[in-house]
Amino acid sequence: MSADIQNDGDSKPTCAEATVSLPATGIATVEGKEPPPEKEADTRRRSWIVLSFWLIAVFIGLPIWWNTTTIYRANLPLGQMTDWADGKACEPVFPLRIALDVGALPEQEAQNLLRLTQHALDDLNDFSGHHLRLQLAQAPTEATAPVRDDSNVALTIRLAPGDAAHTASSSLHPHLPILDVQYPPNSLPTANSPSSGLATYIATQLGATFAEEQNIISYLLESSSITSEHRPKGISQEVVDTVSKRMTRSLKYSQTYHLTFSLFTNGPVPSSWDIEAAIDQYMKPVLDMLRPIHNFTIDTQVQLYASPGVQSLVLGKEDLSSFVNAAEWPLSPSIGGAPTVNFIVYTGNHTIGVPSEASPGETSQSWMIPQWGSVYLLAPPAEATHVSSETLKQPILTFTSHLLTLLGTPQSGSLPMRLSTLARIRSADLLLRASSSLGSLARLTLALPSISIPSNVADGVVKTIHHLELACASLGGAKSLEHARIAEAEAERAFFEKSMVGQLYFPDEHKVAVYLPLLGPIGVPLVMGLLNEIKAWKNRRSQKLKAA
Amino acid sequence: MTKDKMSFQATAGTAGLFAVAAALRLLLFTAFPGLPSLLTGRVEISTPVTSFKRLQEGLFLYNHNVSPYDGGVYHQAPLLLPLFSLLPDPSTYPIFTYILYTLVDLLSANALYKIAESGEGGASRLYSSPRKEKRWSGYVVATLFLFNPFTIATCIGRPTSVFTTCAILHAVAKALSGNIFTSMLCLSFATYLSMYPLLLLPPMVTLAYDRTYNSKAPKSLAQLAVMCTLAVSASLALLFISSYALTGSWEFMSSTYGIQLTLTDLTPNAGLWWYFFTEMFDSFRSFFLGVFWLHLSSYTPALTIRLRQQPLAVITLLLGIFAIFKPYPSIADTSLFLSLVPCFRHVFPLLRYSFVTASVVLYGTFLGPAFYHLWIYAGSGNANFFYAITLVWSLGLSLLVSDLAFAVLRDEWEVERPEMRGKEIRQI
Repeated sequence: MSADIQNDGDSKPTCAEATVSLPATGIATVEGKEPPPEKEADTRRRSWIVLSFWLIAVFIGLPIWWNTTTIYRANLPLGQMTDWADGKACEPVFPLRIALDVGALPEQEAQNLLRLTQHALDDLNDFSGHHLRLQLAQAPTEATAPVRDDSNVALTIRLAPGDAAHTASSSLHPHLPILDVQYPPNSLPTANSPSSGLATYIATQLGATFAEEQNIISYLLESSSITSEHRPKGISQEVVDTVSKRMTRSLKYSQTYHLTFSLFTNGPVPSSWDIEAAIDQYMKPVLDMLRPIHNFTIDTQVQLYASPGVQSLVLGKEDLSSFVNAAEWPLSPSIGGAPTVNFIVYTGNHTIGVPSEASPGETSQSWMIPQWGSVYLLAPPAEATHVSSETLKQPILTFTSHLLTLLGTPQSGSLPMRLSTLARIRSADLLLRASSSLGSLARLTLALPSISIPSNVADGVVKTIHHLELACASLGGAKSLEHARIAEAEAERAFFEKSMVGQLYFPDEHKVAVYLPLLGPIGVPLVMGLLNEIKAWKNRRSQKLKAA
Repeated sequence: MTKDKMSFQATAGTAGLFAVAAALRLLLFTAFPGLPSLLTGRVEISTPVTSFKRLQEGLFLYNHNVSPYDGGVYHQAPLLLPLFSLLPDPSTYPIFTYILYTLVDLLSANALYKIAESGEGGASRLYSSPRKEKRWSGYVVATLFLFNPFTIATCIGRPTSVFTTCAILHAVAKALSGNIFTSMLCLSFATYLSMYPLLLLPPMVTLAYDRTYNSKAPKSLAQLAVMCTLAVSASLALLFISSYALTGSWEFMSSTYGIQLTLTDLTPNAGLWWYFFTEMFDSFRSFFLGVFWLHLSSYTPALTIRLRQQPLAVITLLLGIFAIFKPYPSIADTSLFLSLVPCFRHVFPLLRYSFVTASVVLYGTFLGPAFYHLWIYAGSGNANFFYAITLVWSLGLSLLVSDLAFAVLRDEWEVERPEMRGKEIRQI
């Protein structure tokens, strides 16, 4: 429309001269009749009009175009980001301190034992990223206030003279991070001996205790893109297989998980359950211990007349995966952003038909669904309408152990040890993930020069690097998980910035498609008008020159 | 309808005309109680920046001492609020609102009457049309305005754009009668209410200059332009400051003018912007907002220069262009444009597409609501249905605008080349 009106407005009557076919004169050469020359004032007026359009286009249009379409690219510390992604910025070293509580041994002998054991440990361990360092525990008076800096001491070895004559024995304390070692009195190393049976024994025990953690961390490093001299020398294929199976089973790390406990019944009863009391009694202690690593929110529901996804009463192995009736059971995938872990108690007459010796975690009544939750088949209780808290004891305990597995907790050792290992694994995992996000962002920035980078992305990157540094400095400590978590969240936020994602694929041809349809119709009359003006001006000048 | 007859009736009949028009409106308001709320909800009448419903929302918040712009529904000027809070509650005593809107229409008609009576359409200071004898009196022009179905529908739908219409018509009428400052004050009010009337300042200045031109002591146009700009800025500043005092923050700026500049509310309307910007790539959105606004404003200088001899024609054509290309147009803008067109009765014989234009506009008028119904209520159409019909509607209006421009220019040209009168034009 613009061209139309503009033509009507400025050119038609003045420059598009009109002639008229003269009727009935008999002269055929109508076209030969020249219109009278244009008036000077009209020409000047037309120039003014063309000029007014061009002034607006140049002095307002161009700045608008420039301001609104220049791509803002905040400066990103690309070098640092690639360093992190390549593992150059941080050596993933987990120095674990092991306290040696020698009991009543004299200082000299204790030092000696410590030196030898450390030596044996270093010989045993070829993975320098995961480093066990021994230290003497505090004097017994202080040691009773258990460990001065809980987070830094992963395990305490309690030495005590034993009864056995020649062999040392050891046992892990079931509830505390303590390894009790009983040694034969004569096995203490002398001051100058190069090695000692006891020292080697302790070192081997320690190695066995931390083998699982080492394997998992090696696996994490292996599967990340980090190249480092601290990289493990290579772990056997079967270890990789077991660890990767366990890792794929566990949920992606999140600060908060939402636990949903559902009671599904195949009939009208039972219609109520003492779930709150049962959780408080049987699951709460574990959840409390997990508190430094995860937060939990809990909700429960009861659904009557819930039919499972399979028909047969005896469940075969393949029925287990389709038992959960995802279409009809009200199990929301996630509530409020936190990933949901579902625990289902199903009362009905279903039984599991296959003995489940293949996976030892599963009992004959329950099974775990990887990354999702777990199901427990409960026989209909005697009092029919109500499920008491005692009846729920076994389901809840099963759920608790499933929850630990779903969270990726290693399987060996006492619970505190497993949890501190979990914290270390998770911080390593988060650290590696944040680093690789940074690397992806850096590669993306270099690969797409036309993508805009808002300043909050740059802020996020700076924050990520800051927290990564802090996390790296305190690896193995309690703070590192917190920093790694913030770093990972910031890195994800920066990478998935909304305004960037929209432009991931926007080639230059698209710009033609955007500009041309709209600006073409406006641009053509503008340019033609300007060209005509220039032509007319040249004509006038040459005529003036002729006249002169 | 010869001119003599009309001028005879004009003096005697204006009061009667106004009475009939007012009676018709009040009859429609009272005889069909559902009609006002029905028309208030129509997208063709109520836009996000003029809707009466949104005004009531703002009024409610204002009366409860909450900022009227909280909630992002109200996008109209703050000074409307005290005016409407003076009236009794429109839901219990709607008659007062009806009377107010009827009065505003009558005021507009009165201004239009003066404009038509001045004869500026046919004969200005610099130009006198050879056809100027053939014109309609103010009576006819006011009648055409008051009984235009678009005007009546607008009045009953009660959008606040009627205040803008009234202010613009009064600005023109005052400029014609030589009251420059009153005219500029009216223009400031219109600008304050709807922002786009600011673009009418250049032709308004030339109009005022022509009407106050004194050949004995000629003032320069630039001088008057500076004076007028100052007057408009001063009165706008005053209005803004009083709005600030009223609402206690400058929030109203972004909520009223900001929304017109950024088009954040994409409620469908009769215009061309909403569909375009629902489809726009986000990264190009601000650029094309700039392009659309620039396009809208680029007509003002060119038309003012080209039709320097006929400032009223410039204003009329610009109002037509605004009715097509502004961000939130409604039929209120169309009725304003159509109200000024009859002032150019003398060029009607020169219009080439009057039949096509009339058919296309009627086509748009009848099919627009039907297609909107198909899209929103029946669900058997989609947004493209309604957008297609708004395209047709805009096509009809732009045909009228360009045809009128052509006719006015042809009229000018025939003064220059009298021998060409009545001949067909041909491009060579």
